[in-house]
Amino acid sequence: MTSLLLALKVVATTPEYGAIAAVVGGDQVKVTTLAKPTEDPHFVDAKPSHIVALSRADVLIEGGADLEVGWLPPLVEGARNAKINAGGPGHVRASEGIQLLDVPVALDRSLGDLHAAGNPHFMMDPVNAKIVANHVCDVFCKLDSGSCPAYQKNRDALDAKLTAKLDEWGKALAPFKGKPIVTYHPTWRYFAARFGLVSEVYLEPKPGIPPSPPHLAEVMQKMTEQKIGVVLVEPFQSRKTAEAVAQRTGAAVVDVCQFPGGLPGTDGDYVALLDADVKTIVTALAAAK
Amino acid sequence: MEILTLWLWPLLALIMLPALLVYFGLHVVERGIIFVDLALAQIAALGVCVAVALGAHPGHDALPWVLSLTFTLLGAGLFAWTRFRHPRVPQESIIGIIYVVSAAAATLVLSHTAEGDEALKNLLVGNVLLVTKGEVLRTFGLFVGIAVVHVLLRKRFLMLSFDEEAARRKGISIRTWDFLFYATFGLTVTSFVQITGVYLVFSYLIVPAVCGALLSARIRTRLAIGWVVALFAGISGLVLSVKLESADLPTGPTIVCCFGVALIACAVIMRLKKGSDPISAPREPRDA
Repeated sequence: MTSLLLALKVVATTPEYGAIAAVVGGDQVKVTTLAKPTEDPHFVDAKPSHIVALSRADVLIEGGADLEVGWLPPLVEGARNAKINAGGPGHVRASEGIQLLDVPVALDRSLGDLHAAGNPHFMMDPVNAKIVANHVCDVFCKLDSGSCPAYQKNRDALDAKLTAKLDEWGKALAPFKGKPIVTYHPTWRYFAARFGLVSEVYLEPKPGIPPSPPHLAEVMQKMTEQKIGVVLVEPFQSRKTAEAVAQRTGAAVVDVCQFPGGLPGTDGDYVALLDADVKTIVTALAAAK
Repeated sequence: MEILTLWLWPLLALIMLPALLVYFGLHVVERGIIFVDLALAQIAALGVCVAVALGAHPGHDALPWVLSLTFTLLGAGLFAWTRFRHPRVPQESIIGIIYVVSAAAATLVLSHTAEGDEALKNLLVGNVLLVTKGEVLRTFGLFVGIAVVHVLLRKRFLMLSFDEEAARRKGISIRTWDFLFYATFGLTVTSFVQITGVYLVFSYLIVPAVCGALLSARIRTRLAIGWVVALFAGISGLVLSVKLESADLPTGPTIVCCFGVALIACAVIMRLKKGSDPISAPREPRDA
């Protein structure tokens, strides 16, 4: 075990990257996560500790698909740390090499806070988590070649675990293939694509825009027509809106989260989070049948 | 010393910029229009929202800046024009109405655009930790310009706030001078809001002025006391939030609480002073 002084100091923007980095890095790294799991990742309030952590970091892991564009750049600028700037040796762009969904054909701000690069919630597909673990491992190896074999071993173990779990989650969700779900924000697109659900109805009229009465009426009509029985909502989204819609259509509100720690018992554990999400969604879909 | 590297520009911002706010605070407290700063900031925000709705992007295009300036001047005109003497409608109620209507209008304007909340949040919830060198220097330049105007014309501006009757007797055009007052005040507030957020602007305006008023009847003394209070609260708030790493306090609210402590200290000093010598004679009652 490396002493704590020699450990790589890793900063992750959101908790799922922090969880992956902690698994790959093991004892050799010290991970700090900026956003709380119950906080909207589009808006994070800057605190002194964020800038301090960034100024001392060896590695920064960010999504890279504009999710953190509203708050991360000024923090990084304030931290004055060349190692973690874009292009620096310790900068990890998680989205690299990932096929993003919902890439806008023409960029038009009037369509909502559409991210130019595409939908940034790609970590909800566990296959993408494997790709991110790879990026993280590569950067750790470059910065700390002595511990590289350990990093690779950890990554391979995570990879194998995710492969086994993918099979398990796939089987659990298989009976619901083609089932439509309603979500607050297009967060569950990748999850739905991986496990054969249909996520095309959102409580937000456009990403980032609060629900308006006419839009909710349209959503409720779609829910009745398509017999949609579940509405997924995350800790930082308006549960009240979801409840109002669910109550009028006889659907169930289901508490899920895209971040480890956002559901009880999932703190710092990506696999446990997916386990909890899959279990909750399976239960809700089965009850709604 | 991290405070001089990582936190150099926030520190300089808190040293260089509040002096002008404290000065305006004397006027605002004396006129009894405590919430006018929030209203002006909200009107400026509405201007930016309109620009965003028209497709401009704050930070890249000139339109948001132009419209925020235009709306600030419109707001200044509105406040100058509504300084009437009506026995049953205090000006503070007009200010409140302007505030809430422009806030609601901003929500309406933004309900169909992309960065809805984001744009509004950036305008009204600046974070002093993230201030850049460029922002501090630009704002300081603007503040020096405004300060020069107010130093040159101080007699008129003070008469307008502290002795309206005298101004009327002298035949000074109150509307014109009020417009100039609100225009310079609006520029100051809207640029400071973007650096520190609404809470801090409010604290910087009101608390030092109130501390000064508690301890002295003379305007110069009040200004000096206000500056000391502002420097104390700003610097101690920043240092506390940065140094108490285990507590990890957000900077803005820490500074606001330091202002609270400063006000309590001033109240205690006033009590002690009162024991030995009664402060000045009671001031003339303000006309209703």
